[in-house]
Amino acid sequence: MEIVALSAPAVLFTAGMIAFPLVYTVWLGFHSFTSAGEQRFTGVANYARLVSDWEFWHGLWVTLVLYVLSLALQLVLGIWLAVILFNAKRIHGIVRSLFISPFMMPPVVAGMMWLVILDPSLGAANYLLQSLGLPPSDWLASPTWVIPTIALIDTWQWAPYVALIVLGGLQSLPPSVYEAAQIDGASGFRTFRRITLPLLMPTIVTAMILRSVDLLRFFDIIYITTQGGPGNASNTLNIYGFRVGFEFFNIGYASALMLTLAAIVFGAVLALNRLRHAVAW
Amino acid sequence: MTSAASTDTTLSDDWARRVNTLLLVVAGILIMTPTVWMVLSSFKPSFEVTAYPPKLFFTPTFENYAQLTKTTPFLSFALNSVIVTVGSAGIGLLFGIPAAFAVSWTRISWPALLALAARMAPGTLFLLPWYVMFRQVGLIGSYTALILSHAVITMPIAIWVLLPSFDNIPRSVYEAAQVDGCSLTRILLRIALPLVGSGIAVAAILCFVFSWNYFLFALVLSNGDTKTLIAAAFNFVGEGSTQWGALMAAATLIALPPLLLAAVVQRWLVAGLTLGAVKG
Repeated sequence: MEIVALSAPAVLFTAGMIAFPLVYTVWLGFHSFTSAGEQRFTGVANYARLVSDWEFWHGLWVTLVLYVLSLALQLVLGIWLAVILFNAKRIHGIVRSLFISPFMMPPVVAGMMWLVILDPSLGAANYLLQSLGLPPSDWLASPTWVIPTIALIDTWQWAPYVALIVLGGLQSLPPSVYEAAQIDGASGFRTFRRITLPLLMPTIVTAMILRSVDLLRFFDIIYITTQGGPGNASNTLNIYGFRVGFEFFNIGYASALMLTLAAIVFGAVLALNRLRHAVAW
Repeated sequence: MTSAASTDTTLSDDWARRVNTLLLVVAGILIMTPTVWMVLSSFKPSFEVTAYPPKLFFTPTFENYAQLTKTTPFLSFALNSVIVTVGSAGIGLLFGIPAAFAVSWTRISWPALLALAARMAPGTLFLLPWYVMFRQVGLIGSYTALILSHAVITMPIAIWVLLPSFDNIPRSVYEAAQVDGCSLTRILLRIALPLVGSGIAVAAILCFVFSWNYFLFALVLSNGDTKTLIAAAFNFVGEGSTQWGALMAAATLIALPPLLLAAVVQRWLVAGLTLGAVKG
């Protein structure tokens, strides 16, 4: 009985602020709202609209491209950084603080910072490129480069996080694994690819799950830097849904969009969770 | 022969270590440079911050920070951030600690999974119904709405960080108290809590950092008087298109509290951040 009392505040809070609002969103998704604030039951009209909405499919495409690009960059760099950290044997607290600093920084601040560095005319990044004899880029102001640029910013912020997770995995591997490989005379890279990497897969998939949840809902850095622009080149589903809801106050359609996005995130997590079971050892 | 061979391997080991250290330094520089540039820019005189080519050496000035506090209600935004962050971290811990203990005690996992589901949903998904609900009771723009919404971020963090800590306490520790007929609340307060002290410190700091950093909810639920620093940053960017110095001063000040707190608990932070998925 006391157990119930101990968990009651959390359960009531979850019911009021999470469970009920979720059910309410489902209800909102079946309704339309007039500008006078009246609501009308419209059945699946919002979902029918979504299927034929070009902006939705564009948003889905942008979301997926940004997701795949960012995740790939963060995993490759993160694993590489983890190996370097692991080989360093002892990691000083300052080094760890340094690795933590990008992802503990508010994403909004990261956006502000990179906005100044990547300014097309006065930014330090273009100056660096030009002094290396490379052509300057419009970065966030270019419809072609805005998504890769955002992926780079997010990678700067989160590759160290992936690195620290993978480092934890490396440190928990039994040392006998490496000894056996050394006796066989396997080269460093071969050992890594044939033995270490497969053993690390559960940790890597965990990192993928944690990053997927954030990347599929990408919002902060985009909203502070481009608000979905230039044009609609970085209009991810989350940005699009937010604008439909709070710029055009079409709460019903925004609810349908966000429920769809939540289903996509949930599906990705379920799929990756199956992958984690498949690579477990 | 053997001694020569062993010298050979130590030599190449030595080189491998040097190359590794070099790579670590390069990685460190790549990670640090943007942040250092932000801080440097915040101390540049206003006519030099947009200079092209960008200047690396300059006479540092506090002009941008002075301008920031003079032309924007920066300090009252900061106070709003503190109120919302401390309030939501407090609620998160107050509700999350007993819940994590109860989940660990009963070994029922679904409440923890529900908390995880809250982390998976896009923020806008909650914001839409909240907006309608809070508008009906006239709470849009109130600290109450902001603190409650941010507690949806902090409570799951508290539960997920503390669950492994409570799980690590062996049952035998509780047995004597149970025989004495102690209530569960007493067991939690007198025995369990002192044993998970470091876990609570990490949970508190992570709650603080993630609530401080959270952007989306305050963007919609705050008004001119209750705006948090992060939400106000959106206006700074709009107004600061030419005022880079003040913009970078604002960015530096907003990033400072979470970075300092994270540095304090860096050793235990990663295990907490991975929701107990990896023990580090």
